[in-house]
Amino acid sequence: MSALLEIKQLHAGIPDKPILNGLSLSINPGEVHAIMGPNGSGKSTLSYVLSGKSGYEINGGSMLFDGQELAEMTPEARAIAGLFLAFQYPLEIPGVTNMTFLKTSLNAIRRGRGEDEMDAASFLRLARAKSKALGMDDDMLRRQLNVGFSGGEKKRNEILQMAMLEPKLAILDETDSGLDIDALKTVAEGVNALRSPERGMLVITHYQRLLDFIKPDVVHVMAKGQIVKSGGPELALELEKSGYAEYSGGTEAPAGGREAHA
Amino acid sequence: MRNIVAAPRPPLGDAKPMLDAQTHFEQIRDRLPGDLQARAAHLAAAEAVGLPTRRVESWHYTDLARLLKSGQATPVQAVDFSSVDAVLAHFEDGVLQAPPQAEGLEIAPFAGAISSAEAPSSAYVMAPAHVMADYNQALAQNGLLAEISGPLAPPLVVRTSGAENVHLAHHIHLAAGAKAVLVDDHMATGYANVVWDITLGEGAELTVLRSQQAGHQVGLSRVSLAAGARYKSVAMVSGGALARHEAHVTLKAAQAHAELHSAVLGHGLSKASTHADFTYTIEHQAADTSSNTSAYNVLDGHARGVFQGKIIVRPDAQRVDAQMQTRAMMLSEGAEMDAKPELEIYADDVVCAHGSAIGELDRDALFFLRSRGLDEATARHLLVAAFLEQVTSHIDETGLSEIMRGLVDTKINALLGNPSI
Ligand SMILES: Nc1ncnc2c1ncn2[C@@H]1O[C@H](COP(=O)(O)OP(=O)(O)OP(=O)(O)O)[C@@H](O)[C@H]1O
Ligand SMILES: [Mg+2]
Repeated sequence: MSALLEIKQLHAGIPDKPILNGLSLSINPGEVHAIMGPNGSGKSTLSYVLSGKSGYEINGGSMLFDGQELAEMTPEARAIAGLFLAFQYPLEIPGVTNMTFLKTSLNAIRRGRGEDEMDAASFLRLARAKSKALGMDDDMLRRQLNVGFSGGEKKRNEILQMAMLEPKLAILDETDSGLDIDALKTVAEGVNALRSPERGMLVITHYQRLLDFIKPDVVHVMAKGQIVKSGGPELALELEKSGYAEYSGGTEAPAGGREAHA
Repeated sequence: MRNIVAAPRPPLGDAKPMLDAQTHFEQIRDRLPGDLQARAAHLAAAEAVGLPTRRVESWHYTDLARLLKSGQATPVQAVDFSSVDAVLAHFEDGVLQAPPQAEGLEIAPFAGAISSAEAPSSAYVMAPAHVMADYNQALAQNGLLAEISGPLAPPLVVRTSGAENVHLAHHIHLAAGAKAVLVDDHMATGYANVVWDITLGEGAELTVLRSQQAGHQVGLSRVSLAAGARYKSVAMVSGGALARHEAHVTLKAAQAHAELHSAVLGHGLSKASTHADFTYTIEHQAADTSSNTSAYNVLDGHARGVFQGKIIVRPDAQRVDAQMQTRAMMLSEGAEMDAKPELEIYADDVVCAHGSAIGELDRDALFFLRSRGLDEATARHLLVAAFLEQVTSHIDETGLSEIMRGLVDTKINALLGNPSI
């Protein structure tokens, strides 16, 4: 079986500041991987570099997605290929409704895959069904994209996008931060609904609790831009108790010791 | 939206007839209706002052004499209003093609611009004295004198087209309780000095949608609102070497409410660039009046956006609520935005706020959209459209808002497809 995502010795950063220092990680189809690690260890940077945000330099290594080198693809080509990032800090875009945005996105991806665009009625049905499953009312589809959404609503909206786009690999960057316990369950259900033998997930989190709902196959500890330890779900429980001190050379903040923010 | 593409007009050249108003007057005097002597007096008064220079405070950012010499041929597209069953008053080179007809609308024959002294109702605000209004009164060859007595069902489209220099003096009066939507569709490629004197009776409601696509326009709107009257102007400048839209709005009695929103999609290099200037004076003369102003500018190439908004709250005008917002999205290094909000508040119990933000296209938003599969061009288009939507969203009439959105879309395509047009 060939890996869905194969990152080898990835070195990346912003000019004059290396952030990822030889990171390697491999996710097979059907697997859920969790990354935990102290603030500033480079988790979001990894998610941005994988999805193609500008401003980062790649100084070495490779990242193959379905056998294709991501570094050579535009962000939209990566999305069309099936990569999805649920943002740690979702943006507000006034002037465009959630519905219009979702439709534009879905159809851009369908076009990119050589599929027909979805007609308005089917789209509406799908969007309503998916948002209902995530406990979002229709009003949130009509509202401007994330404008005035609460922190938790923004996170749900990211998961709605994921549910609509059905990616092959979803990277969730602290999707659980800012969610109340009920929302956490709903969002986890949304994520679990997408689990399949073909799909993979990379779940970035500070809280072991999320992993009670989204059971990972592998848990990684990231520190200073590298994966420093990998193990099973029990690793997350260990981290919850002992923090990252042993990995980050004395950083005192324990996992989950940070204020949740959305 | 269907667009009819009009043939590009020849360049304006050096706009001599405007810079030499006296000669222009001699050339057209035989065709001018009304009292020629009064016109000559206005011309003399105007010429004594001359065209405003940058030394005049409200013209500081708009160098009229220089801008009148700039510009180049621009293709303009006639906006198709057929979907909304509009009545049309079409001024082609200053000539009214046919008077508009609708129930509740009365059109009087044009007999020269109306001066303060002969204003049919004291409600007309002719103040402040204004040199461009003097030129207009001297040279106005036409204008729409409209009395709207009740709810006017169809939108009234006033279209200005042609390549000649024109002076138009419009008077729009809404009787108490009347309601109307007026569209100022400016597609003239020449110089146009247009004055709108607008009076709203008690509880009257007027929405004015403006579009300027080309040419050199110096527009002046003088609007007065009686108790409970509502005035809303939503303007879109998508081209033209000069788009000066000046408004003096006077809220005379309680519950009067005025809204002025403008969108600019400026582009072009050096002499072919857009210069869009919205200059407002909003005067709250009475207590319990409110106003809301917003200006959204998207500026590419060497385009320049100017926004000057002065809010005056007179001493007894308590409980006034006045809001003013300026936003600019700069798409190039060579573009320029000048925003000058001013508050003159003489009452103590008022809520007045103004904000101004000038930035570039948001890179993070661009990345977010691309990460959702939109190619870069589509993502940029969507972000520019979303920005301007904050103006078009003020149009409540569904049919007209679709038309205006269609126009915005076409213009964004033209801009982003070829940013240096
Ligand atoms: N564009 C940038 N400019 C400057 N510094 C940056 C930039 N992007 C990332 N960094 C720095 O790189 C380091 C890694 O940041 P990153 O956001 O990837 O951390 P993280 O592991 O996601 O942290 P958190 O748990 O707080 O979300 C931090 O020190 C951060 O300040
Ligand atoms: Mg992060």
